[in-house]
Amino acid sequence: MGNVESLSYFVPELILTVAILIVLFADMFGMERGGFDLPGGAALLGSILALISHVWLYSQPATMLFEGMIAHDMFSAFFRGFFLLCTVVVTLMTMYSMEVIHLKKGEFYSILLSICIGMCLVASAQNLIMIYLALELMSLGSYILAGFSRRIGRSEEASLKFVLYGGVSTGVMLFGLSLLYGLTGSTDFSAIQQVLISSEKGIDLTAFTIFLLILVGVGYKIAAVPFHFWAPDVYEGSPTPITAFLSVASKGTGFALLIRLFYSTLLTRSPAGGFWVEVGDIDIDWTFHLAVISALTMTIGNLGAISQNNLKRLLAYSGIAHAGYLLMGVCLLTDVGLQAVIFYLVVYLFTNLAAFLVVIIMVDTQDEEGMNGVRGLWARTPIVAVAMTICLFSLIGLPPTAGFVGKYYLFVALLQGKLYWLAIVGVLNTVVSLYYYARIVKAMFFEPTYTEEPIRVHPVYAGLLTALVVPVLYFGIFWDSLARYARYCASLITY
Amino acid sequence: MHTYELLAWLILAFPLLAFVIQIFFGKRLPRQGDWVPVAAICCSLFFGLILFFMVIVGEHDPNFVFQVSYPWFSGGSLQFDWGFHIDNLTAVMILVVTVVSSVVHIYSLGYMQGEDFYDRFFAYLSLFSFSMLLLVLCDNLFILYISWELVGVSSYLLIGFYFWKHSAADACKKAFITTRVGDVFFFIGILMVVLYIGEFNYTKVFEAVAHGELTGWVLTIAVVCLFGGAVGKSAQFPLHVWLPDAMEGPTPVSALIHAATMVAAGVYMVGRLFPIFSASPAAMLVVAYIGLITAFFAATIAITQTDIKRVLAYSTVSQLGYMVTALGVGAYTAGLYHLMTHAFFKALLFLGSGSVIHAVHTNEMPSMGGLKKKMPITFWTMLIATLAISGVPFFSGFGSKDAILAASLEFGMTHWLHMPIFLGLLLGAGITAFYMFRLIFLTFFGEAREPKRYDHAHESPYSMTVPLMILAGLSVIGGFGLYGGLWFNHLVVPPVIGDAAHHAAEGHGAHGSALAHYGAMALSILFATGGILLSYLVYYKKKISAEAVAGRFPVLYNLSFHKYWVDELYGKTVIAFVMWFRMVLARFDNKVVDGIVNATAPALRGVSSFSGAWDKYVVDGLVNLIAIVVQAVGAVSTLIQSGVIQNYLMKVGIAVGAILLLHNFILRIF
Repeated sequence: MGNVESLSYFVPELILTVAILIVLFADMFGMERGGFDLPGGAALLGSILALISHVWLYSQPATMLFEGMIAHDMFSAFFRGFFLLCTVVVTLMTMYSMEVIHLKKGEFYSILLSICIGMCLVASAQNLIMIYLALELMSLGSYILAGFSRRIGRSEEASLKFVLYGGVSTGVMLFGLSLLYGLTGSTDFSAIQQVLISSEKGIDLTAFTIFLLILVGVGYKIAAVPFHFWAPDVYEGSPTPITAFLSVASKGTGFALLIRLFYSTLLTRSPAGGFWVEVGDIDIDWTFHLAVISALTMTIGNLGAISQNNLKRLLAYSGIAHAGYLLMGVCLLTDVGLQAVIFYLVVYLFTNLAAFLVVIIMVDTQDEEGMNGVRGLWARTPIVAVAMTICLFSLIGLPPTAGFVGKYYLFVALLQGKLYWLAIVGVLNTVVSLYYYARIVKAMFFEPTYTEEPIRVHPVYAGLLTALVVPVLYFGIFWDSLARYARYCASLITY
Repeated sequence: MHTYELLAWLILAFPLLAFVIQIFFGKRLPRQGDWVPVAAICCSLFFGLILFFMVIVGEHDPNFVFQVSYPWFSGGSLQFDWGFHIDNLTAVMILVVTVVSSVVHIYSLGYMQGEDFYDRFFAYLSLFSFSMLLLVLCDNLFILYISWELVGVSSYLLIGFYFWKHSAADACKKAFITTRVGDVFFFIGILMVVLYIGEFNYTKVFEAVAHGELTGWVLTIAVVCLFGGAVGKSAQFPLHVWLPDAMEGPTPVSALIHAATMVAAGVYMVGRLFPIFSASPAAMLVVAYIGLITAFFAATIAITQTDIKRVLAYSTVSQLGYMVTALGVGAYTAGLYHLMTHAFFKALLFLGSGSVIHAVHTNEMPSMGGLKKKMPITFWTMLIATLAISGVPFFSGFGSKDAILAASLEFGMTHWLHMPIFLGLLLGAGITAFYMFRLIFLTFFGEAREPKRYDHAHESPYSMTVPLMILAGLSVIGGFGLYGGLWFNHLVVPPVIGDAAHHAAEGHGAHGSALAHYGAMALSILFATGGILLSYLVYYKKKISAEAVAGRFPVLYNLSFHKYWVDELYGKTVIAFVMWFRMVLARFDNKVVDGIVNATAPALRGVSSFSGAWDKYVVDGLVNLIAIVVQAVGAVSTLIQSGVIQNYLMKVGIAVGAILLLHNFILRIF
């Protein structure tokens, strides 16, 4: 489709772009006066409008946009919704968070929205150049936001680590991409795939190197072992709303990137349907390699979380473990696996954002992000304690929460793919994770608190928390609609 | 949305909402929020009445069925749905549950006033009402089982409401564990049905059974297992032991759960699944005889009990036996009709006894007496209920009990071998009249045996007496359903499955032959009058001394007074076995395991030098190795997470290099 016609499919991104301009403009009218966060309101409105227009675009058939630069298919549509929803929630979190009370909040929102655009483009790019540009658009923004609390030393440290680590990782990935270009002579995914299909034997080593180098970039985004080192430090140092954003949206981008790039270049859809196979004569056991990474990721994530006392750090390790669980679905290279991943991502979105919202409430009300903050929480604010418990149960994967159903689908996919050893590792890891999640629950309900003083939760936070927790329970009981939706979304555009 | 669907939603939604509000915010609401559940159940009652009249009067069709089902999720080849199944039986049950439940809610406003955890009590009541309504409305075995367990849980919570009392805590555990025994069978029964038929939905299961997809001994076992659930929940012999103990709960709870609704759930379940039950004549006989044993033997226990609530509890067990027997002999209509009438008059009796207990602060009938003047409303309403349960004409119990007796007589006339069923029930009817009037005479007549209690006694507040009067009215007019072939007899008939079953279903019901009908009626009036007269002579005129009779037949008296020693029997057998088994295991540990250890000690001593070396170098070595590994993992993980960015990047580089090497050189070798 040509450039001009493509614009009608590009409405959400256009709305976001306009919103960025308005936010910057609104920032000029001092927000301190009325107390209402004008740029924040504009950003919120913009992202909600984008979300609405996105839903409205849903029924459009899959097609290629901008002369084949990006694709409009169910997969990209799913991720666009995912990122927009995440942006709405994080914008709301930021508007009322004490951590980022800052004169230059307008900058914050405009960067947040541009990151969102970048993420949407990553999920739909069909070209190496496009995917790299989109990735950089979101990465650069993330570096700035991670260091946004400039007064706090550890925030600066986090930002610097993030920049250096991210720079090296994406650099390595770019090297991989250039190898891919060198091998095939094209930056377009479909062309690359065509060349690889008709390629001769003997490019295994090159293909594997490309895969590995790209994996460095992707693994960094999703925080997979052994590329996860930045995550605990950066998560701890960043302002909590940004940590929430990184842990959900950024991880989601990593998975979108991995699936989009890997499934449409080095793999091809099997004519038999239902699964993907290596292109051409390449003979590499992708599943095995990814499965090993997955097993390592969840094991190290869970073991690392055990001894953490800082909630943000603990959730960082828990996020690493969840990247491992999600990789279980990706490594299968089947439709069922992809569906499970998409289902789990939705669950993870609600659960993790809610958990981080609880941390934000802790930080705002008592300036405490350690275990001390949650001790005796039940006596001080029962609603938050119950919400947090539901989130933790969902992260463990206990019924009747959505986390249970998500894990159920992942394990079913594993068993169907006959990857029994990984399923066993996954189950063992779930048991280990029970320990550190349950520790928080125990602290909230059974441990004495240093003060009985009730915590006053901001009504917006209370509402947001409810809005995030209710789906966790709802999809734990009525998951059929979500499962059908995941089945619908797990379809990439094919040529 | 169809009107029936909407009504079902509304009926269910109110109590559930009330439960949620009450459990979380009850304490903070004015009056501890008691008005929330009361208002909710009254709304349910309102919509229940609309549903009842729409179905019974509006449709007036014996075969009326409304079904709607919503997909829930699919697990493999099984589709799990949930939905509503509304027919005449549902409408009647909705009426019974909402009426009794609302009356009990209102009564509790007075009875529970000032108790600790007042707010929580109402929350539990709402939870129970919701569960019971779900049980009645649901359309498949899966949801039936869920709601079955939900009523079990709420019953547990309510029996143990005075949890600080040891007896109450024990009673709720006993109730829960005993009914669990039945529930396990119920669950096995459901699994068997689903295994062979692959469907949960009632109608589909019935059709499959009618088409012979589940037959022979498998069907019989499945039905007996399903019946096991009813044995537990409806307190049938031999799992009846929990119900008398459950009287430890607050009296409104006894009225609602342990007289009118939850214990009737077992009977309702048998009625609901009647097409499966009736497909297996052998299992139906089991049902009939279990019911007979329960009906007769619980009635004999009730004669000698002195605790007013326990008399009523055994009376409940006995009446449930009547219903089960009726279903067992195929008298679907009669059994379910008795369920309805019994719900009203037994709830009334319990609430009346609660009113008495409220006034004199004791459960023991020997401490009461002469309360007629002090508590006129309680007396008259309880008398009406007593007349009803005794089967005196023009009261509701007469119609239903007479129908059961007629059906069992008819059953006995076709199969002479089964005549004992009729005879046992007939004798039981006489005993029922006797012990119920004993209760009335001991409580309300004669002189005050404990003047101190008598002086303080007073009539209960209106919030308690008005519910009594409502139920008294229902205990009278409830009887008109069967007279002259009115609506109940006509409408609540076994469901018709397909065309073939149509003719088979015709023969059932309480019609019976004229001989059986009038014969049973005459005999039942005779026995009821006999029971009442005997009671009058013994406890009012004192012409016959109860003590003398008890002294003449010590064996019979002790059997009855000690409830046939069933509790003791279980204590000596099942519970003793569990305790013994626990001892055996402990002994096994002590004697055998330790013995082996001790026995090997000398042998080990012989090779201790070797063993010492082994320990030192291998075992200790292993232990130390594990410790070292754990420490190393810890050290490595801190080392890995050094916080130094150059370090991180170097590790990434090493990892990439290592993977590449591993992949290209080491994996290639294999």
